[in-house]
Amino acid sequence: MRLPFSYSWRNVRARPLRSALTASVIALVVLACTLLLGLITSMRRTFTSTGHPLNLVVLRKGSDNDGSSMLPVESYQAIRFLDGIARNGDDQPLVSPEVVVQPFFRTREGGRENVLVRGVEPVALEVHDQVRVTEGRMFRPSSGEAIVGRGVTGRYQGAELGGAIEFGRGKWKVVGLFDAEGTSFESEVWVDVRELANDAKRPLPFSGFRVRTANVAERERIERRIDDDPRWALDAEPEIDYYAELASTGTTLYVIVVAVAVLAGIGASFGAANTMYAAVQTRTAEIGTLRALGFPRGAILWAFQAEAVVLALIGFAIGAVASVAAAWILSNALGGFAVGAATFTTSVVVLEVDARSLAAALFLAIAIGIAAGLGPAWRAARLRPIEALRKA
Amino acid sequence: MADGSNALIDVRNVSRHYVRNVDEVHALDDVSLEVPAACFVALMGPSGSGKSTLLNLISGIDRPSEGEVIVAGQPLSTLDEDELATWRARHVGLIFQFFNLIPVLSARENVALPLLLTDLDKAERRRRAETALRVVGLEERFDHFPRTLSGGEQQRVAIARAIVTDPDLIVADEPTGDLDARNAEAILDLLRALKNEFGKTIVMVTHDSRALRYVDEAHHLDKGVLLTGEEAERAAAALLAAAGAHPMPPARSDGSS
Repeated sequence: MRLPFSYSWRNVRARPLRSALTASVIALVVLACTLLLGLITSMRRTFTSTGHPLNLVVLRKGSDNDGSSMLPVESYQAIRFLDGIARNGDDQPLVSPEVVVQPFFRTREGGRENVLVRGVEPVALEVHDQVRVTEGRMFRPSSGEAIVGRGVTGRYQGAELGGAIEFGRGKWKVVGLFDAEGTSFESEVWVDVRELANDAKRPLPFSGFRVRTANVAERERIERRIDDDPRWALDAEPEIDYYAELASTGTTLYVIVVAVAVLAGIGASFGAANTMYAAVQTRTAEIGTLRALGFPRGAILWAFQAEAVVLALIGFAIGAVASVAAAWILSNALGGFAVGAATFTTSVVVLEVDARSLAAALFLAIAIGIAAGLGPAWRAARLRPIEALRKA
Repeated sequence: MADGSNALIDVRNVSRHYVRNVDEVHALDDVSLEVPAACFVALMGPSGSGKSTLLNLISGIDRPSEGEVIVAGQPLSTLDEDELATWRARHVGLIFQFFNLIPVLSARENVALPLLLTDLDKAERRRRAETALRVVGLEERFDHFPRTLSGGEQQRVAIARAIVTDPDLIVADEPTGDLDARNAEAILDLLRALKNEFGKTIVMVTHDSRALRYVDEAHHLDKGVLLTGEEAERAAAALLAAAGAHPMPPARSDGSS
């Protein structure tokens, strides 16, 4: 004993302007919700995929990131010859001594952003095997050369093949571009480790080491061994955990986004409820007629509730299409989305609106529709036919 | 019929009072009325005489303050709100002054609406709706929406909607009130045909004196009271005098015209 769905649907269409405005408000909430959730997901994916499961990050005890760590050269030698470290074809241990600085770069638009510049040795390409030089070549040590990640390319002044980037005490010639499978390395500039340490006038050359272990068991053993060695006060941590911590910024953001989405959703549902109350008001005689014809209160309740949910679903559809389009434009046309990470450097994240973000927005939209419809539908269902008919 | 009465409608000592602001309004005062089956009855009287109130009580849209309304043996006071709605859907066809069609539904969908409350499948609902529209002469207008129909056509759709469930009783509240003379007579013709050909009982509220030529009985109300005897005859005469010369039917005629 329900009114047909077409009754609700056609009533939404019967007042196109009002319906469009109401749906647009819901669409904006959906757009904001999907973009922010998509951004968080993309950020997490970028950071968490950066770590390699067999790699260890070795830093000075008490440092939680590359930027605040300093290690003496001797510790490098001590670690290099531990058992259980993977070796390359030349039987060299895969230990990458690295130094990290975070100078300001000038963006093309004239702004300033912190960029992570990583000093490495050529072995870094084997320890971080996601990184591949795709154009040009690897830098030569001590010759003022740099290679830049895909996310950096084109974003900053001089960050292109054959260009020159300025930071520290001089200019660095860009001789290669690299790709890193979407990981956060793509937001970095790589130069020779000793040259960078000299340029930064660091008393100790290295900020940390990245160690490729032979297998997970060895990774755990070496991690304990380094942690327990009293000579160098080092702290080893699986690389995946290290990046997961950097991504934890996203968790705080997540809570904020959920709170904002709920608040915006409440606002939107007030707007939609207002539209639905107006519909009940203008269709009072019609409701009276339906009741007089014998439709029970439940049928009226359903019809108006369905109308509110239809409005919300239209809003979702508009918002979802807009957010996918916006994500595409931000990622492809504008070359990615700059995100400040916990380390204060800028990471360029390719924003993607994933199915989970869309599902969350759909859930939100339906909740908005139900919340908006409840009051008006209840009012409509409770109208007494005799009184409602007098409004004809 | 229940209680030994052969009337389809049995209104017994019905009063309807309600409070408007602080005043108690006596819309109907101790009205009793019997309407036999297959009879076309007019309820007449000036505005505020209580004729629409009586009609709403008969159709189960409203409830009396005192007294009882029994239709086809069913005392309406024993039904709760939703049972009453179901009862209306099965037994009463409603016709309104302003047609009260659903604007977003086509003629056929409007007519099929009461059939949604039955167990009929979609094809059968459609077939019956089309049959009802043919009965009222709108076979060319199945897919038209109310706004594209004239007033007379809209009222025909509403009549098709009232008869589609094949109810015992059709109630019409000023069905010609919003129509021009030609359309008004066509609607009255159609209602009489429904009585003559399908044996429907029709109760119509009107203050249109033309209606007197079509109905079997006319009952006159004034200030909430049903007029009888000389008072009723005087009221009928006054109505006819106001409308110009028409042959005056008695309060109860045999229905031929």
